[in-house]
Amino acid sequence: MNPFRTNPMRRVLLGTVATVSGVTALLALKPHTQTAVALPQTAASPTTPSAGASSPASASPSASSSTKSTKGTKGTKGTTTTKTVTGDTIQTRYGPVQVQITLKAGKLSAVNVLQVPQDNPRDAEIAQYSVPVLTQEALAAQSASINSVSGATYTSQGYISSLQSALDKSGN
Amino acid sequence: MIQNSRAGRRLAMRRIRPRRSPAVPLVVLAWLGAAVVMWMWWNNTPNVVGTANQLIAAGRITGLLGAYTIALVIAQMARVPALESRVGSDRVARWHAMSGRYAISLVVAHVVLTIWGYSEVSKTGVVSEAVTVVTDYPDMLMALAGTLMLLIVGFVSAGALRRRMRYETWYYLHLLTYAAVFLTFWHQLTTGAEFIASATARTAWYALYLTVAGLVVWYRVLTPVRLNLRHRMRVEATVVEAPGIVSVLISGRKLHRLGAEAGQFFRWRFLTPGLRWSANPYSLSAPPRPGLLRITVKAVGGHSSALGTLKPGTRVWAEGPYGALTAARRSRGKVLLLAGGAGITPMRALFETLPAAPGDLTLLYRAKSTEDLALWRELKAIAKERGARLMYAVNGPDGSRPEITPDGLKARLPDIDRHDVYLCGPPGLAAEWFHTLREAGVPERRIHHESFEL
Ligand SMILES: Cc1cc2nc3c(=O)[nH]c(=O)nc-3n(C[C@H](O)[C@H](O)[C@H](O)COP(=O)(O)OP(=O)(O)OC[C@H]3O[C@@H](n4cnc5c(N)ncnc54)[C@H](O)[C@@H]3O)c2cc1C
Repeated sequence: MNPFRTNPMRRVLLGTVATVSGVTALLALKPHTQTAVALPQTAASPTTPSAGASSPASASPSASSSTKSTKGTKGTKGTTTTKTVTGDTIQTRYGPVQVQITLKAGKLSAVNVLQVPQDNPRDAEIAQYSVPVLTQEALAAQSASINSVSGATYTSQGYISSLQSALDKSGN
Repeated sequence: MIQNSRAGRRLAMRRIRPRRSPAVPLVVLAWLGAAVVMWMWWNNTPNVVGTANQLIAAGRITGLLGAYTIALVIAQMARVPALESRVGSDRVARWHAMSGRYAISLVVAHVVLTIWGYSEVSKTGVVSEAVTVVTDYPDMLMALAGTLMLLIVGFVSAGALRRRMRYETWYYLHLLTYAAVFLTFWHQLTTGAEFIASATARTAWYALYLTVAGLVVWYRVLTPVRLNLRHRMRVEATVVEAPGIVSVLISGRKLHRLGAEAGQFFRWRFLTPGLRWSANPYSLSAPPRPGLLRITVKAVGGHSSALGTLKPGTRVWAEGPYGALTAARRSRGKVLLLAGGAGITPMRALFETLPAAPGDLTLLYRAKSTEDLALWRELKAIAKERGARLMYAVNGPDGSRPEITPDGLKARLPDIDRHDVYLCGPPGLAAEWFHTLREAGVPERRIHHESFEL
């Protein structure tokens, strides 16, 4: 590369063409159908949303029961009780939000999202990034006094209210 | 000095240590970084459904690439020694200009595509969507301010406007870039899906930007401060060399410890009213001596014309050494130095110090007239001492330009195609010479050029 040979216009053209085709190729290579948005099924350590077309559709909440269920496991060292509680459905500007919590020995160990606005891609995207953050915060705080995720204010408020109602019901 | 004989030549050859420019590995590294950034997007995007989402995704890709490129653009101007002295300040400055334009184009594409995509999703007008994005999303007001600043910088850097502007005005406006980058950084973390979803991505981004900030603070602030506290330079004297050409002698402590090589330059700031606010680049016109440096300057504008009036004792603030037009550029063999006008300065220093056996070194000096051949007497003395060849070419009495043709060069130097050629002169002349040399059979990689335009 030497300064006497380069033709600036050619370079601009080349850069533009390369960038546009690169971006187009990236977009074309991604699947174009809606695989149901993978809402993380939260475990004690929430996973980031899994990527790729092959990821199984796991949006449908596994436990849709709205009843309290209590499972007890008796062991020699003591009792570990696992309790699942479903929170209220909170209506937000963009749709309903509802969570279900799992308590292990009185400790909040998982938060499952049963409903979250995801009718359009933008909502789905917001849910996809905000839910893991909210869950992480809730598990860390062991309560519903957590911050909203910026850019996802409505979803956050719905999530927090539903979580609070679930915690209230659990008598924690 | 070892002169004469094969032994002398062999010794001279042994002192030649060609050093490769790290340009190619650096460019490869930059592309790898871009690939990693694209992978971040890829990894975080399960699918792209419908036109609106394609727009948003394209906006996101261009945003990520733009932010990455801006980090590089700033790193290129951090005056990192490996870039300045091994790749070459002029070449890095060209990279900087090129990647700067590219970054701004990406940022514009990012803004347009994102807002357009969002407005498609929410079925609102583009303008109202833009307002929503700026007012409702976190850190977007800052991002807006930063983007406007970037556009201003890009606008004043566009060729036509820059040439009409004072260099200093342009330079200080350019510093807005730092503020712009700071302001636009935060919205990437708080609204960018890649970063919200992944702590690793956030860490990587912080690492990238903090590294760049560290380079800037270290090499643009701390290094010059340390250098000037250590060497405490002052103007020793000024000497008129030719009409409109003045040498400035600069004294200081332990100047041989600056690590400056023949062919390099410093940015000089003279702490006297009127000159305090500009730091202009001038090459060393002699190899550094323990207590003395010298620059030789042709009066072309405000700064360069004022140097003749400098009072001895004036404090000097220098930054450097920069520039890759040094002995390390050459391969083993003979050397031709081509100097045009003020371009003689680095050539003069190289003429004295480039390792070469007698007869292996030639300097051709082009000037308007014989009076304009600044430093001619000392060039003659060096030529005599080293057994080097010295030639000049000046305009005829009628103002006609001397023809320097491939054949003419070959007649003087039949083995010119086996020379390394160092080239420094006004842009038009340098370009002309470059093509002449190529026609005379000098391979491109053996033509070493430095532009006096940064
Ligand atoms: C690496 C390098 C080495 C140089 N070595 C010498 C030398 O040894 N002897 C010599 O006479 N000249 C040298 N120059 C050229 C010299 O720097 C300019 O002629 C001088 O800065 C002009 O400033 P001015 O205020 O007199 O003129 P202006 O009319 O203000 O500027 C003329 C042009 O010089 C350039 N310029 C001005 N200020 C700067 C600056 N701070 N940094 C970069 N470019 C600037 C601009 O392109 C401008 O258009 C060198 C330039 C470079 C880049």
